[in-house]
Amino acid sequence: MAETAQTPLERSLAEMIIETLELEDIATDDIDPEAPLFGEGLGLDSIDALELGLALQKHHGIRLDSDSEDNRTHFASLRNLAALVEARRAT
Amino acid sequence: MPACPPASDLQLYLRDWRGWLPGSAVTDNERIDVSDQPAANHIPAMLRRRLTPLGRAVCGMLHALGSEAEGIPILHASRHGDGHRPLDMLDTIATGDGVSPARFSLSVHNAIVGVHSIASGHHAPMAAIAATGDEFAALLEESLGYLADGQPEVIAVFSDSPLPTRYRAADIAPETPAAVALRFSSRQGRRLHERPLDHAAAAETITPPRVIDWLCRERSRLTTARPPCCWTLEAPLRGMQH
Repeated sequence: MAETAQTPLERSLAEMIIETLELEDIATDDIDPEAPLFGEGLGLDSIDALELGLALQKHHGIRLDSDSEDNRTHFASLRNLAALVEARRAT
Repeated sequence: MPACPPASDLQLYLRDWRGWLPGSAVTDNERIDVSDQPAANHIPAMLRRRLTPLGRAVCGMLHALGSEAEGIPILHASRHGDGHRPLDMLDTIATGDGVSPARFSLSVHNAIVGVHSIASGHHAPMAAIAATGDEFAALLEESLGYLADGQPEVIAVFSDSPLPTRYRAADIAPETPAAVALRFSSRQGRRLHERPLDHAAAAETITPPRVIDWLCRERSRLTTARPPCCWTLEAPLRGMQH
């Protein structure tokens, strides 16, 4: 169970992550919005980052520049990912 | 391919084996796994999620045969690899969608042994083979090559899986996936005997289920086309269930 409550958007992104990355034995509630998605936290790897990039494009129409330094920030946590989706919706 | 037999005095001996026949209702042999989704619990979940049932079965058999515990080299022969994966990617490209990086990374022919190596820290030599239907003969030749190179043992895996229907011409693809893993030694176990086949036309397409039948002594021989050979397996020692 995540320590911080998820917003509806975070919950929907958590569902997308679990389904896209075929995570076993992990429920949407298990993903803490503020915990790292990569490395120490959820334990995702570089292939997952590419897979998530594709899923964001497919589900939210977001195209990320593969060379951008900002990607590290966007992918740091569920909360940051939700902030990216919100920001791109607004533009 | 060289003439039969290989230019070597080496012989193949079968020390142990495992089979995977998902959905089979006819076996009670403890060496044969019939589950549709093998557990492969020794593979960490974050790696296991990327394996198909075939991949899980192969990794499970390699683990059961002591591949990583004893540092045994691995050969994996398969005509069509991990089935749908590479061909489904072609469909994705054709429809203009982005290709899944995870699926792309596992569409290569040596993907399953690669995951096994990463998951178990097993760094012995490993190779993947495709031989347009002559996989079993190629596996035996390669196994002899490893033994000739000084390896005391080698594990030879033979698997196959269904293709999407439109690629399923004639009899080149099975309806269900299956796999068999053989642990060969250069001196211990049941000896494989080979003799030249008089009529190459009498050779058959050897599939993993047929190899399992042969191991279970439900068929007495396997016949390969290239090289034209007939392979028989010494009976198990009394008291040993093979």
